Amino acid sequence: MDLRTIGAIAGQELRVNSRNKWTVSFAGIFAALALAISYFGMVTAGEVGFQGFTRTSASLLNLVLYLVPMVSLTMSAVSFTGERGASELLFSQPVTRAEILTGKICGLFAAVAAATCFGFGLAGCVIAANAGAEGSMAFLVFAGFALLLALIFLVIGALVAAFCGSKAKAFGHALFVWFFFVLLYDLLVIGMTFVLKEHTANRFIFLSLFGNPVDMARVGSLMALGDPSIFGAAGAALVKFLGGQARAMLMLLMGLGLWVAVPLISAVRVLNRQNL
Amino acid sequence: MDVKEAIGCAMKLAALLALWTVTAPAAVWTVRPAGPMAHVQQAVDAAGPGDTIRIEPGTYVGNVVLDRKLTLEGVGRPVIRGEGRSSVITLKADGCTIRNLIVEHSGEMLAEEDSGILLHASGNHIEHNELRDVLFGIYLFQSDNNTLLDNVIRGRAWLGMGERGAGIHIWNSTGNTITGNTISKARDGMYLQNAYHTLVIHNRVHDLRYGLHYMSSNDNRFEDNQFYDSVAGAAIMYSRRIEFRRNIFRHNRGFSSFGILFQDSENCSAEENAFVDNAVGIFMEALRASTFRRNLIAANDTAIQAFSSASGNTFSQNNFISNLSPIEVVGRTTGSRWNEAGRGNYWSDYQGYDLDENGLGDVPFKIRNVFERMEGDYPRLRLYLFSPASQALAFSEKIVPLVRGPEEYDRFPLMKPIDMHVEERPAAQQEPYSIWAPLAMLGASLLVMGWGRLR
Repeated sequence: MDLRTIGAIAGQELRVNSRNKWTVSFAGIFAALALAISYFGMVTAGEVGFQGFTRTSASLLNLVLYLVPMVSLTMSAVSFTGERGASELLFSQPVTRAEILTGKICGLFAAVAAATCFGFGLAGCVIAANAGAEGSMAFLVFAGFALLLALIFLVIGALVAAFCGSKAKAFGHALFVWFFFVLLYDLLVIGMTFVLKEHTANRFIFLSLFGNPVDMARVGSLMALGDPSIFGAAGAALVKFLGGQARAMLMLLMGLGLWVAVPLISAVRVLNRQNL
Repeated sequence: MDVKEAIGCAMKLAALLALWTVTAPAAVWTVRPAGPMAHVQQAVDAAGPGDTIRIEPGTYVGNVVLDRKLTLEGVGRPVIRGEGRSSVITLKADGCTIRNLIVEHSGEMLAEEDSGILLHASGNHIEHNELRDVLFGIYLFQSDNNTLLDNVIRGRAWLGMGERGAGIHIWNSTGNTITGNTISKARDGMYLQNAYHTLVIHNRVHDLRYGLHYMSSNDNRFEDNQFYDSVAGAAIMYSRRIEFRRNIFRHNRGFSSFGILFQDSENCSAEENAFVDNAVGIFMEALRASTFRRNLIAANDTAIQAFSSASGNTFSQNNFISNLSPIEVVGRTTGSRWNEAGRGNYWSDYQGYDLDENGLGDVPFKIRNVFERMEGDYPRLRLYLFSPASQALAFSEKIVPLVRGPEEYDRFPLMKPIDMHVEERPAAQQEPYSIWAPLAMLGASLLVMGWGRLR
C-alpha cells in the first residue's frame, strides 16, 4: 500500500465528485432540509416560551438516517462501475487493487463528508444564532456519527459494485441495500420480538442493533444528543447490557468500525479475484 | 407556716411574676463572641418570654434549645455551629422567631430527627436563615401554623441519597406555610407526611430525589414553585385533594425520572403548570378523579406515562408540544377523558384540519400510534425510537389499521395552543452553544469542495 498512490487516486476521485451533479445536489438538498428543520424547530420553540432542541435534533437525525446512506451507496456504486475507459486505464497502472479501492473510497468520503458538513454547519449556525440549548460537543458527536455512516455505506456501495459489474445493476442493488438497512431490517426486528419469548426478545433487540449500522448511528447520536434516558428503561437496560455508558458508546463505535473494515476487506478480496 | 399558706404565697409570687412578664417591656439581649454573653444558650436561659436576642457576627459553637417564646435574630449572619449530635436549634415554645442565622453541623441520626432547626411548637417564624451541613434542614414535628420563609437549605451532598434527610420535613402537622425557600442536595426537598392544609409557594428545589413529596397528606396546595434537576419534581403518594398551579417542573432527567409522579392519590387538580424537558412529564399510577387544565407539557421524552390502574382523570386545554412520545401506557388504557365541555387539548403532532373553523380539529387525534402501543408491551422496543421503521409503521397505520384494541382519542383537539405565559426558567448550568464548531464545519467543507473544483 503506497500512501502517495492512494493520495493521488483520492485526489482524482474528489476532483471528479466535487464537480459531479450528484454531490452538489446532495449538498444543496441536505443543507436546505437541515436549515429548514433547524429554523422551524427554533421558531416553534420560541412560540411557547421555552427552548427545546430534542425535536429539532431528532428531525435532523432522521434526515441523516435517510439521506446519508442513500447518497453514499449510490455515489460509490456509480463511481466503482464508472466509464469503462477510465477504470480500465486506472486498473492497468502499476497500482494494487487495494490501493485503488482505498483511494477511491477516501476521495468519495471527502466529497460526501464535505457535503454533509456543509449542511450540518449551516444548521448548527442557525441553532447557535437562536441560542439553542444543546452543547456543541454533542452536535459534533452527532455529525461524527453521520460521517461514519457515510463511510460505511461508501464501502458497502463499493462491495455491491464489485459484485455487480454493470452500472445499472449496481445502482439497483444499492437501492435495495439502502431499503434493507434503513427500513426492512428494523421492521423485521420489531416483528421478531413478537415471536420470541420476552427474555430472548430483549437480548435479541440489543444484539440486533449491531447488525445494522443505521441503528448503531441512531442510538449513538440519540445518546450523545440527549442521554441514554431518552430510551427510558430500554436505555438503562442497554447501558447495563453493554457495561456502562462510556463502554456502550465505545461498543457502538467499535461496531461501526467493524462495519467499515469487514466490507472493505471483502471488497478488496472480491476485486482481487475478479478478472477485469 | 403551713402548707396552705406556703402554696398561697407561691401563687401570689407566680401571679406577680406573670404580671411582670406581661407588663415588662420585651428586653433585648446581645450575644457577641467577646462577651459578656458569649453563648447563645446563656442568653436564652437569662431571657424572659417575649425577649429578643441579638446575635452579633461570629461563630457560636453549641446546640441551642428554646424553651420560651423568644426572637433569635442574627446581625450580619452569625454562624450557629452545632455539636454534631442531635439538632442544632430545638424549639419547644410557641411563637418564636429565628431570623438571619447560619445554622450548621447537626447530628447524623435519621431516627432522632437530627436537624438544623427542629420544631416541637406552633406559630413560629423561621426566616432568612441558611442551613448547611445538616441532616434534616427544618423539621416540623407535630407543629402547626408555622411560617418558613426565604431560607436556603443545602443538605450533605457527600452522603448517599438515602442517607440524607429532607430539606424540610413535616410530620403530623397542620396549617404550615413554606415560602421562598431554596433547597438542594437533600433526600427530598420537602417531605410531608400526615400534613394538612400546608401552603408551599415560590420555592426553588433542585438536585435531590423528590422536590416535594406528599405522603398521606390531604388538602394541600402548592403554587409558583420551581422543581428541576431531580429524580422527580414532585411526588404525590396516598394523598387527596392536592391542588397545584403555575409550578415549573423542568429537566428532571434520568432513566426513571419524572416531572411529577402520582401514586394512589385522588381528587388532585393541576392548572397552568409547566412540565418541560423531563424524561417523563407526568407519571400516574392509580391516580383517580383528578383534573389537568391549561398545563404546558413540552419537550419531554414521554409526556405522560400511565398504568391502567389510573382512572377517571381529565385532561383538557393542555398544550402538548414536541414531546418525543405523547403517552406510554402500561396495560390497556389510561381510562382518561381527554376533553371537558367539548374542548380537548392542543397536540403539536396533530395533523388534522378544521373545516368548520370552530378552533377544534374535525378528526379525532389518536394519542398513541401503533409503535407506541407496541412499546407499552415491549419497553425494549424503545431503542427503535425514531427509526424509520417505527415511523413507517405509524404512517401505514393511518391508512390501514394494523392492530385493533382499546385506543385513546382526543375527540376535540385544539387547532391552536392555549395562550399561556410560562415564566422563563432559572439559568441552569448549560454548555454555552458555541458558533465556532458549525462555522469550522462549514469552512472545512467549503475548502474541500473548493479544492476539488478548482484543482
